[in-house]
Amino acid sequence: MTFAVETDGLRYHAGKTFALSGVNLHVPTGSIYGFLGPNGAGKTTTIRLLIGLLRPEGGRITVLGEAMPASYVRVLARVGYVPDRPHVYPSLTVAESMAFHAGFHRRWNARWAAELQAQFRLGGDQRVGALSKGETGKLMMLLALAQEPELLMLDEPTDGLDPVVRRDVLEALLAYVSDRQATVLISSHLVHELERICDWVGVMDRGDLVAELPMREFKNGIKRLHVTGAPALLDGAPFSVLGRSPMHGGAEQWLVRGWEPSMRDHLESMGATVTDVIDLDLEDGFVELLRSFREQR
Amino acid sequence: MFKSILKAQWKWTRLAVLVCVLGAFAMPLMSVNSNLDTASPGMLISQMQTWGVGYALLAGAVGLLVAWLAWAADHRGHHVYALALPVARWRYVLMRFGAGALFLVPVVIALGVSALLATRTPGVVPAGLQAYPVALTLRFAFAALVAFAIFFAISAASVRAAGVVLGAICAVLVADFLTSAAGLHWQIGMHAVDILMVYPGILSVFSGRWTLIDV
Repeated sequence: MTFAVETDGLRYHAGKTFALSGVNLHVPTGSIYGFLGPNGAGKTTTIRLLIGLLRPEGGRITVLGEAMPASYVRVLARVGYVPDRPHVYPSLTVAESMAFHAGFHRRWNARWAAELQAQFRLGGDQRVGALSKGETGKLMMLLALAQEPELLMLDEPTDGLDPVVRRDVLEALLAYVSDRQATVLISSHLVHELERICDWVGVMDRGDLVAELPMREFKNGIKRLHVTGAPALLDGAPFSVLGRSPMHGGAEQWLVRGWEPSMRDHLESMGATVTDVIDLDLEDGFVELLRSFREQR
Repeated sequence: MFKSILKAQWKWTRLAVLVCVLGAFAMPLMSVNSNLDTASPGMLISQMQTWGVGYALLAGAVGLLVAWLAWAADHRGHHVYALALPVARWRYVLMRFGAGALFLVPVVIALGVSALLATRTPGVVPAGLQAYPVALTLRFAFAALVAFAIFFAISAASVRAAGVVLGAICAVLVADFLTSAAGLHWQIGMHAVDILMVYPGILSVFSGRWTLIDV
């Protein structure tokens, strides 16, 4: 497997309280990688480090096979970036913004940019500063897509957008990815949104990459079990227990990863009884994962 | 790339440039017209020197405005857009500087044309005196460029760096006030001004005689 983005022991700190402490990120080439985490987890900081807006204090960053931030000019020519806040010049019109952006990107596809402009219903004469939040989000996505990047880094691109605009933006993104086999790193705290489109997921919390795995494993493997007669120790269990908490009547609630129905026998051979197996959706899994991670610290 | 920068920067600088062009065009004509009735050549020179302060101030103001506007849009977006563009950062700064420097040209031309027009009128320059429209224009151009370069550098730096510059100026003023209040005639402020304004100080182009009509 090759990686479009790879970090090794990435370190950075901001202020006295926030630090990235040795992040090892691996975004497979051609994947849509969901970068999950609560607000303040370090997603935006990590993305800014990846594209050279910030300088790391330690570790190694490789983007599209090039070392960052040393090769930022070559890398940025191949990366489409949508930041968490609007960054385009507010005094320019939509058409002027597109012309400005095109001036810096050799692979700018003017015809497709015009198609996207029509699809997003953005008037060329509209001043960027007067656009609604949804229209600004569409414009930023248009600029990132029409430069035909090999890698898209999207930092909360749909945050605060209404469902209709969000759907427009995500549809354009998915159409591009399926056409060009581009890689996408998309950060969000809207778990359900990522659940629909991503095939890999990385979870950040307080500057740490807590988990990184294929989406299907993340979705299917995490269960909540209700167990009676639970043994104190679980040697050689074929699944991971992320957390266990007491319930009424001596029963326990377990959060496990890697669970399969056949594993019920393993527990029962140890004298325990599984009374309930609850499927967790991505959001529940995400919340439970963070909770168990924080308890371990 | 430069064309893109030039077009965008022009959009948010053009109003300021227009105002400066009008000011630069008006100043030489006004300085001459307001002194048409001045009787003696000595008084005319004295009046022209008074107007000279205006040229220096206008050059400083043009440099400040154009430099500030060169970075204003990037500052507003915390430079995220500029830093995410696939261009070397030194090159981006150079292009912003080049675009800003080009916007000084119309102001300089306006002043030059006005100075030539003002001094070509028969009877404006009394016998024994000379008109210096080209010298004044060149000096104005150089002063505007110096002011632009200084304010461009300050404006390009971080808020902290701008704060350090402002803090240093305030420290000199406070030290000057305290020493003079204590009866010590060290004249720190005056010395600081001399270092900057007297040749080879970086602002020496702003001092001296800025007269359109002189001996």
